[in-house]
Amino acid sequence: MLNTLTSSPLFGILLTLGSFSVGVMVQKKLKTPLANPLIIAAALSIGLLQLFHIPLANYQTGSSYISLFLGPATAALALSIYRQYPVLKANLLPVIAGSAVGSAVSMGSVLFLCKLFRLEEIMAKSLLSKSVTTAIAIEVTQQQGGLAPITVAAVVITGVMGAVFSPLLIRLLRIKDPVAAGLAIGTSSHALGTTKALEIGQVEGAMSSIAIGTAGLVTVLFALFL
Amino acid sequence: MEIILELIIILGACFIGEILSAVLPFSFPSSIIAMILLFLLLLCGILKEKHLSHVGDFLLKNMSIFFLPAAVGILEHFSIIRQALIPFLLICAITLLLTFAATAYTVMGVRALQRHFSKGGKNRA
Repeated sequence: MLNTLTSSPLFGILLTLGSFSVGVMVQKKLKTPLANPLIIAAALSIGLLQLFHIPLANYQTGSSYISLFLGPATAALALSIYRQYPVLKANLLPVIAGSAVGSAVSMGSVLFLCKLFRLEEIMAKSLLSKSVTTAIAIEVTQQQGGLAPITVAAVVITGVMGAVFSPLLIRLLRIKDPVAAGLAIGTSSHALGTTKALEIGQVEGAMSSIAIGTAGLVTVLFALFL
Repeated sequence: MEIILELIIILGACFIGEILSAVLPFSFPSSIIAMILLFLLLLCGILKEKHLSHVGDFLLKNMSIFFLPAAVGILEHFSIIRQALIPFLLICAITLLLTFAATAYTVMGVRALQRHFSKGGKNRA
């Protein structure tokens, strides 16, 4: 009975919409980057699927309709890059240099650390793009032949760490320049870090938003050569 | 009607992205092609923000729901993560620190050079 019901596409769609709404509501109540809506929603969905022994395949019958829009959502990033174009143009050289060096260091350190910890190659492929925004990171992972769920987990964990530790890193590394601080936040911890950058200051927020797009693009380009 | 036209623009760009991605001699993500295409169309004024902002902003604002199915898919790969949980978390933290420092110091260096050269230019003039 339960199996027949949950194999309807509506089940997966409703579970996705419902658990995401709960995640957003909890975030609004708690107002901390640790209460990330995606983490809460994923934990809730996984918990329900496990509790009622619902096969993942049943969930995916419906949820695949929602992930179908990942591509259009990525394409829509064009709109946010376009809106930041004046700031981007005014700081072109620092933005490009910062996101290129930052992304290269991110990808290089992932490959090095995966070797150091003797992880399977599939992990390295899945973690390569972990510093960039999830939509782009998933694309890079699929292109590299990695596992998208591991990428999503790494991207979100990195982003939450970035949002929590950015103010501390700015002080520890003695970064006095708000442009440098903003670009560092956006390049290392994408949209989740940017929420914190917007709290720190206007320049930091704008620079961090720009770095989401530029670091993402640079990472895609670098991945072509791997 | 407005929404339908916006959907046609955004999904159309994605479809063109898929076609170009299939034709390209190297593998390049189709949605990134669509993103670049839309950005260029906006930049040269062929498209205006209002031609895609209702659907576009909806997608941007609720972006993370579109990764939720992938995040739930971690169920299938739980064993890989569990046996490498500590290195996995360490990699996230160490890479974050290195990327942060490398970006910040590069930007500070470039901006110091820019200030140096613009000052030099003024002196000559």
